[in-house]
Amino acid sequence: MFKELDPILHSQLRLAIMSLLISVKEAEFTFIREKTNSTAGNLSVQVQKLKEVGYISVLKQFKDNYPQTTCKITPTGVLAFENYVKNLQVYLKVGK
Amino acid sequence: MPEEKEFSEQDSLQLIAEMIKKAKGSYHDTGIGSLLWGAVVSIASFMSYLQREYNFTLLIDIWWLVFAAIIPQLYISIKEKKNVKAKQYDNDVVNAVWLVFGISIFALSFFQNIVPVQTEKLFAQDGFTLMKHYTDGRVDEVIKPFTPSLYSIYILIYAFPTMVTGMVKKFTPMKVGAIVTYGFFMLSLFTQSKYDMLLGSASALVCWFIPGIILRKKYLAQITLNV
Repeated sequence: MFKELDPILHSQLRLAIMSLLISVKEAEFTFIREKTNSTAGNLSVQVQKLKEVGYISVLKQFKDNYPQTTCKITPTGVLAFENYVKNLQVYLKVGK
Repeated sequence: MPEEKEFSEQDSLQLIAEMIKKAKGSYHDTGIGSLLWGAVVSIASFMSYLQREYNFTLLIDIWWLVFAAIIPQLYISIKEKKNVKAKQYDNDVVNAVWLVFGISIFALSFFQNIVPVQTEKLFAQDGFTLMKHYTDGRVDEVIKPFTPSLYSIYILIYAFPTMVTGMVKKFTPMKVGAIVTYGFFMLSLFTQSKYDMLLGSASALVCWFIPGIILRKKYLAQITLNV
């Protein structure tokens, strides 16, 4: 009955990133850092992990001579997030 | 945000809700576009009414002001786009609706200018013309074809994108503005065309200018909070 919660998503910062990205079409790295109150270093590591498993896509480009990193959730990421929420609901129902 | 902190399923759900709320609340319209178009359309409509009511003509067609407003609008759009750090899904819908609205308004202005001329030509080819026949015995006059109460259609079109934006963005002032404008449209069906201009001016105020003031206030309040 219990499905193990996705270990990639069951991490505070990674879940926060995914929750932000599921709500918007795409977001800049600075936006995610500001909303999650995280450090640039920690956020970079977690963004990289999410990218490696294919949950998000990362686009690095230059805008007005400044580097700009844009993150976007992928269809795989959407599916993983939906499954995570479904499993979470199962846990919470049983826990009641 | 500490990365490896243990957190429960309840915490997870709370975090998801909090982040979604933050993402949704991150977008604030500057209100400048609404203020610009509200002011321009309202002034142009009101001046058109005054010209008809008091029989005077300005040196230029006041509606050129509306065409001219495209330039600052482009500047505003480019500037705002640069400042956006997260793209919202519903912005694409709203932008598409306003683009279609702009195209429709231009198409309608072409219709307004071309159809009477073409109609007159077609009538001439068929060998007849439109006449104004007075029932009180005055001499009949030749008149040019025209579209009766066309400004009512403009008022109707003003309400459409405003209502969609209000519904998508859940912004009540625009929904109220659109409903009032639908009322103005109905009223304009019974009024002379010069009063339709006055109703059009009021429509631009309720659809865009007043919501623009509210949006601007909200935006400035948000900027102050972020500083």
